[in-house]
Amino acid sequence: MRNRWRYLVLLLSVGLAAACTGVDGGEGGDGEGGGSYPRAQTLFTSGTQWGAPVNWNPIMNWTYATGTVGLVYETLFLHDPLTGEFEPWLAESGDWTNDNTYEVTLREELTWTDGEPITAEDVVFTVNLGEMKSVPYNELWKFLDSAEAVDERTARFTFSEPRYQQWANWVYFSPIVPKHLWEDRSEKDVTAGANENPVGSGPYKYEAHDQDRQVWVKNDDWWGKEALGLDVKPRYVVDLVNSSNEAALSQLLAGEIDLSNNFLPGIADLVKGGYKLHTYFSQAPYMLAANTTWMVPNTTRAPLNDPAFRRALANSVDVGKIVNSVYGQIVSPADPTGLLPIWDEYIDKAQVDRLGYSFDTNRAKSLLAQAGYRDTNGDGLVENKDGSPIELTLATPSGWTDWNESARVIAEGAKAAGINLTSETPADTVVQDIRESGDFDLILDNQRQMDNTPWRYLEYVFGLPIRESQTTVNYGRYENQQAWDLVNQLDATKIDDRAGMKAVISRLHRIQLTELPMIPLWYNGLWSQASNSVWTNWPADSGDAPRLVPTMWRGYLQRGAIKMLAELRPAEQQ
Amino acid sequence: MTAPEPVSGESGPEVAAVPGVATVRGTGVRREALYFAVRNRKLVGGLAVVVVFLLAGLVGPLLVGDPLAYVGPPAAAPSGEYPLGTTTFGQDVLAQLLHGLRATFLVGTVAALIAGVIGMLVGFTGGYRGGLVDEVLNMITNIVLVLPVLAVLMIIAAYLQVRDVLVQAVIIGLFSWPWVARAIRAQTFSLRAREFVDLARLSGMPVRRIVFREIAPNMASYLFMVFILLFGGSVLFAATLDFIGLGPTDGISLGLMLNHAKQWSAMNLGMWWWFVPPGLAITAIVGAMYVMNVGLDEVFNPKLRET
Amino acid sequence: MARYFGRKLLIYALTFFVAVTINWLIPRFMPGDPVRAMVARAGLQTPEGVAAMREYYSSLFGFDVPVWQQYLNFWGGILRGDLGVSLLAFPEPVTSLILGAVPLTLGLLIPAILLSWWAGNKFGAYAARKKVLDNAVLPVWYVLTATPYMWLAILMAWALGKVAGLFPVGRPYSASLVPEWSWLFITDLVSHWFLPFLSLFLVAFGGWAIGMRNMVIYELEADYAHYLSSLGAPPKLVRRYAFRNALLPQITGLALQLGVIVGGAVVTEIVFDYRGLGYLVLEAIKATDFFLLQGIFLFIVIGVLLANFVIDIVYVLVDPRTRAGMGGDR
Repeated sequence: MRNRWRYLVLLLSVGLAAACTGVDGGEGGDGEGGGSYPRAQTLFTSGTQWGAPVNWNPIMNWTYATGTVGLVYETLFLHDPLTGEFEPWLAESGDWTNDNTYEVTLREELTWTDGEPITAEDVVFTVNLGEMKSVPYNELWKFLDSAEAVDERTARFTFSEPRYQQWANWVYFSPIVPKHLWEDRSEKDVTAGANENPVGSGPYKYEAHDQDRQVWVKNDDWWGKEALGLDVKPRYVVDLVNSSNEAALSQLLAGEIDLSNNFLPGIADLVKGGYKLHTYFSQAPYMLAANTTWMVPNTTRAPLNDPAFRRALANSVDVGKIVNSVYGQIVSPADPTGLLPIWDEYIDKAQVDRLGYSFDTNRAKSLLAQAGYRDTNGDGLVENKDGSPIELTLATPSGWTDWNESARVIAEGAKAAGINLTSETPADTVVQDIRESGDFDLILDNQRQMDNTPWRYLEYVFGLPIRESQTTVNYGRYENQQAWDLVNQLDATKIDDRAGMKAVISRLHRIQLTELPMIPLWYNGLWSQASNSVWTNWPADSGDAPRLVPTMWRGYLQRGAIKMLAELRPAEQQ
Repeated sequence: MTAPEPVSGESGPEVAAVPGVATVRGTGVRREALYFAVRNRKLVGGLAVVVVFLLAGLVGPLLVGDPLAYVGPPAAAPSGEYPLGTTTFGQDVLAQLLHGLRATFLVGTVAALIAGVIGMLVGFTGGYRGGLVDEVLNMITNIVLVLPVLAVLMIIAAYLQVRDVLVQAVIIGLFSWPWVARAIRAQTFSLRAREFVDLARLSGMPVRRIVFREIAPNMASYLFMVFILLFGGSVLFAATLDFIGLGPTDGISLGLMLNHAKQWSAMNLGMWWWFVPPGLAITAIVGAMYVMNVGLDEVFNPKLRET
Repeated sequence: MARYFGRKLLIYALTFFVAVTINWLIPRFMPGDPVRAMVARAGLQTPEGVAAMREYYSSLFGFDVPVWQQYLNFWGGILRGDLGVSLLAFPEPVTSLILGAVPLTLGLLIPAILLSWWAGNKFGAYAARKKVLDNAVLPVWYVLTATPYMWLAILMAWALGKVAGLFPVGRPYSASLVPEWSWLFITDLVSHWFLPFLSLFLVAFGGWAIGMRNMVIYELEADYAHYLSSLGAPPKLVRRYAFRNALLPQITGLALQLGVIVGGAVVTEIVFDYRGLGYLVLEAIKATDFFLLQGIFLFIVIGVLLANFVIDIVYVLVDPRTRAGMGGDR
């Protein structure tokens, strides 16, 4: 009897283990390779998707499954931030026919993957969706008058007040959706619907998804093969959900992932360590700069409402320590203007030399003294001008380990200069909450990515008007009408008028560098670690390798990363 | 249920069986217990380990610097200068360990005291009073007993944003008492029926004094063992919470060290010196406590003494 | 008997009620507004857009009705099996996320609990009667039971997974495989399952073994055992009686330990990146996904309550005294 027990338990456990398979299964695979995606024809990626893929809605550009825009839905143009060039994609051409009118012509014989042709009607329809309040590009209709299809392939847009920079941003960033499948959808479906079985026009089609992955299969009839001469190499693109960087690193080292766009600490050592790992630069900082991490002071609160105090604070931050010790040199210090290296030409170097700042604790101390902040109670920390104690907190979302650690370093530096600053790590949602409502002292933020125009950064710094809830720009609630007028002037500058842009930007930077409404600290990397074991010819800054942004992050495929898939080569079989 | 209650509990799968209630009255017995105590290898050995770690936790932090400061080269393996190596940032692992030990003892002690006191109050009251009071208390005990404690702690810690070790200790303490209450209630039941309690009652002693003067001392050995089990369990709970990122946001603890080591990929980067010592320390302390517990059991319960 | 089960059921019902209420209450008193968080993610610029979105999410999450009605709706939802919509994986319902993760967790937990209980009792009873063996293995068991779950998991993942390369670490099955009934897939699944299972098994095993060993020693020292021996009963028979008597508290112990082992499974899954409930818990915590966290918590409570009830039934079946009708919770 006792023996029977034993077998029963064993049987039970084996049965249970087996039972798991039945529940998870069901989808995926067209039978090729006997239940697995053939390794040599599959690209495994990770680092965009933090939870299960649950929607394929290109309008929800903050949450769609990795690849929804770029692999499936496409944009009119591509913009390569590394070269600053626009490249016609769905569009054959797009031009301002006069100051207020823009005409875009589509390529010939484009089709959706359900066989319907892509026409100017689809483009007009997509722009019209922006009239819905909750569509992210609703702002467009503040300066756009009308959108109309002139013929099958040509759409015309008439602007009441042309904003060339913003429109240029739209044409490469926002995907076109098929009118015939979307025209009956309600606003809720458009901005919060899952859009299962996405029908797009791109080089890949939906294949399968599961809690931990999104699988795309190559679209053999993609228009770009002929029109662009581009052939995407991987038959399957499998994007794996990894919520922890540690898991992603483990899979990358095991060769299970080809491209990891996670922040992987310690990668600098591994690149040198013979793991067949590849990064864009072969030495520090290893990664391209993707966005600027800003320290945002709440300019409505004393003493942060005092530019002199903000300047002292800026001087107290040991950015070098953050770059070297926290990040292990995979990031680089930011320019005092906060503009990314790709916008180097827009930075007025002489002005930065004159008005900029750098880490210097003593300078921070003397700035505080000059501005009238003194240590009246002898605790080594300065008080407000009225004698009340200064107690500032820097909030970073808990679990954002690199930021939490950096915040600690910032607080340490501030204390050394005599500013009582402590680091706090509330939940992510709490940080979002206080960021929007303005109920904070200092936060870190890096939402603005590399883009087609520095206008995006300056709008972010100076955006007005201040509302009850600041959702996307100017979290520090810095009010400067003159600066905001200049930002709008920049927006209305034509994108090929570089000299005009530079002049406005230089004036804006003079305000920015004297007032310090936000304090740029370091450039976050375009985290990208590739394995050469299955695919090679990853983007790099040297040799014959393609110069492209090597990432699957949302919004980056239309920044040129899609071409990376066509440049890949299968690794030599050993 | 008439079956004997196991004195195992939420605090680690430790089952101290049902110790006979040693009658600790009279100096003769006490001296006898001491005689066996110093000769019990489990007790002495366990105590030695705990004391060593306790001293390290008390004195150590005074000898090392700020555990979070970047002092050494990044990710250095153990060496003469940094006996336990350094973290990714160049923090001294030994300094973190010593500070972490302090936090561990703090969590264990505070949580065990809180849980012990609540458990005793509920158990004594229910067991001695009986009737409706007992019914209600027993119901509450059973409810908290069935709740999956770790899940509850996770929920609370996630929402509360635990700042420091003390808050964490309080939360753990507040949810670890039910098995204590249950066991003590059972013990009180049986003690209540003994003659010396009846005597006390006849002499007009108030209830509170009967419980604390007559019943509690007779369970002293048992209560001490309960404390040890609670300590061990609380330390493990705290380490678990810290590990999944629900630990204190200020300072350092052994669980936080494990959490950091995982988040910064110590395993993949081969930095064993970052994650082995903290776990080893927890295991050693809690293990030594459990062994001590067995030793104590043997001291107080003659039947179990090795012959 | 009926009274005994009636009482138990009443306690479970009350526990459930308390758990649900705590669960409903806590997020409503804590900082951080899920609606605002959802809207923030959308990055809308115009105040009209923000207002529209906010209204939409408020009604979706049921925040647009009075508090008492929210509480009733919460109960209604639970009874219908509707735990709301996840924030993390919007617009996926919480229930479907949980159901996707549960098989993996149960696949770890049930074998680990049953096998460790069974093996622990066996070895514990065996060691209790072999002095030499007892002295040798007892310290090992104490070390095991004092080991934090995640640390043992980390050590095993590192030593057996990374360094020795014997078992894969991370995810329930290889990324390149399509889930299906094939030999390849099942072996892959089992090899990913083994390490997390083993680490859970080992920690629990130590506790059961110690418990059983102590119980058997007590029982062997009990009067009835001496009496039996003096009557000339063979030692084997005496031991069998001792084992059977010692087993009863171990069954109750199983009920008490369930919560702890479930907690252990949570952290073990996190270490091994095993995508069950534990992994989901961490996800929900990181993203402050109130609804998902609530759902998982409820699920665990229900699971533990059900398991407790099953154990109660087993207890009654095994214990001759309760079988004879001596009901009542003491």
